[in-house]
Amino acid sequence: MDTDPSREWIEEFEAAARRPLRERLKYAFIRTRKPVIDDEPFRSFDTMEEYRRWCEANVPSWLGYGRTL
Amino acid sequence: MAARFEYRQAEEIAAAFGRRGVRYLFLGKSGAILLGYPDTTQDADLFVEKSPGNGAALVAALADLGFPLTEVHRREILACKDFVQIRYGPFDLDLVFAPDGIETFEEADRRAVTVEGMRVCHIDDILRSKEAANRVKDRESLPRLRSFRDWLLGGGK
Repeated sequence: MDTDPSREWIEEFEAAARRPLRERLKYAFIRTRKPVIDDEPFRSFDTMEEYRRWCEANVPSWLGYGRTL
Repeated sequence: MAARFEYRQAEEIAAAFGRRGVRYLFLGKSGAILLGYPDTTQDADLFVEKSPGNGAALVAALADLGFPLTEVHRREILACKDFVQIRYGPFDLDLVFAPDGIETFEEADRRAVTVEGMRVCHIDDILRSKEAANRVKDRESLPRLRSFRDWLLGGGK
């Protein structure tokens, strides 16, 4: 697999490893409203391909849920 | 808007799913974060085994967790549709019965790890899933996630 030798990333991984999981989760999960995606309380899709197509057709491209911008 | 996902809720998932016998694995960025990956995300992604018995156990466990599922939505989960997105419970949850890039739940479960009682996909399965999904946001995150994989499997901690 490709390896990015970025020292900055390694330092981030090492710093995270020094913190307990409870603390890491406190800062890892954020809450902002995602347009379209969060507009309905429940959605289900028969296939992942159907879900991907729905995202590409409906979710704003800048959210990155599509395969192209 | 649901509350932010917290450690307590991850514990509650592990406990409720354990009681009900739900076969699940944290996947996606939430899974990577549980493995130690420092990043942010909004919701928990759970890879759940696609079987009628697991679907029934999952519906029961979600009720235990406080998800007020309607009858229609319960049926959708019992049908084990490939992807289910829930935005009206105590926290946001994505249920993935057939993630891209992972052949079977059994294989992923064999490779999975347990982190403080929570079942989490192996970092290679998280990577495979993101590579196969190939969304813009996945492609952007992959270089750093691959670097984390190498650090983690190289005995990083």
